[in-house]
Amino acid sequence: MSEPVKESAPGGEPAGPPGAEPDGSASDAADRPPPGTAEEEGAAGRFWSRRRVPAGLLALVVAAGAGLLLFDIASVRAGRPAMRWRRSLADELASRPLDDVWVSAGAAAAVLVGAWLVVLAVTPGLRNLLPMRRRADATGVRAGLDRDAAELVLRDRAVAVSGVQSVRVRVRRSRVAVRAESHFRELEEVRSDLHTALGDGIRELGLARRPALSVRVRRPARKG
Amino acid sequence: MLRVVNRVLLGLAGLLLLLLGGAVPAAGLGLPVPSWWPWRGPEAVLLGEARRQRWEGQGWWWPLVIASLAAVALLALWWLLAQFRRPRLGEVLVDSGDGEGALLRGRAVEAVLVGETEDLDGVARAQVVLYGRRSAPAARVRLLLEPFASPGRTLHRFSAEPLAHARDSAGLVSLPAEVRLRARKHRARRVT
Repeated sequence: MSEPVKESAPGGEPAGPPGAEPDGSASDAADRPPPGTAEEEGAAGRFWSRRRVPAGLLALVVAAGAGLLLFDIASVRAGRPAMRWRRSLADELASRPLDDVWVSAGAAAAVLVGAWLVVLAVTPGLRNLLPMRRRADATGVRAGLDRDAAELVLRDRAVAVSGVQSVRVRVRRSRVAVRAESHFRELEEVRSDLHTALGDGIRELGLARRPALSVRVRRPARKG
Repeated sequence: MLRVVNRVLLGLAGLLLLLLGGAVPAAGLGLPVPSWWPWRGPEAVLLGEARRQRWEGQGWWWPLVIASLAAVALLALWWLLAQFRRPRLGEVLVDSGDGEGALLRGRAVEAVLVGETEDLDGVARAQVVLYGRRSAPAARVRLLLEPFASPGRTLHRFSAEPLAHARDSAGLVSLPAEVRLRARKHRARRVT
């Protein structure tokens, strides 16, 4: 479109962040944590939702309300009678005292909706997305793993343990709860095998905060 | 940007509702409210006739009401439409380093990234959208993992191979990416 080169002189030194220097490429094979890893790992924060849906709903309500009121006021200015809802609303507002049931109910509803909107505004949301660890050789990559995906990976791990007949895995943000039914082998052995297998599995997920693991094993219920 | 606007406006609206909903019962219960409180005593009404018509005689009142309502409605409409817009980068600036530059179509970069990512082991499907400025693009990526793929290793391979290739071939200093990984549902495969 316009003159292409304006900023960013790539011939010289890139003034990038101090973790992204090119000599990190040599450490491709090594698993040794380069300096600054702790900072990188700590920097993997939650994902913050854009809150498109509540914002859209609120915008719709405000736009519709303001538009309707504007239309009615303009038509009254033009000499037409006001719509009935506006007259009755004005009457109600001018006649109901503050301890009226409807006024109290409206106030309570306003408080509830307001608190909910404030909560939406200040919480990150996206509870289903578990932040993944940032690697020092890929500082620009922010990744999140879906909770269902984590559950599937761990389930696959658990089912591979011998003696496990069926298993239910629930992954929360800070803990993984596993309930297994085992139809042979000692329950304690199955439990410790599950512990090792799932510990590996959790490591494989590459999450920023490794969740705690709780395993429960029992015999399947006798069929009647 | 949209995230900040959305959250600030949602928070403001919430605070407004909280204040209104709190101020009414405070007066309605007969609590000792300060003198500037809009209502006093349980017999007060929300909006009396005197208060509603206070400014109606003034010449500036109706133009002011109409103008501000129009402004509110238009801004809310803009805000609503902004929720449906997904900013997408049309072109990426490739700087050859000798003062010349070239423009690369954003869709081309996205297609190459998708193709190379889907060739990776463990990735069933990929979606890539570039956004940001054309001299400093960023990628929004969604990966659908194949059954029995390792999320950590797949992510590492993605950032080491397709993403690094795209960054290098476009001559970018860095190509930040926001990656979301999901898994394809599958049945357990047991060893018996």
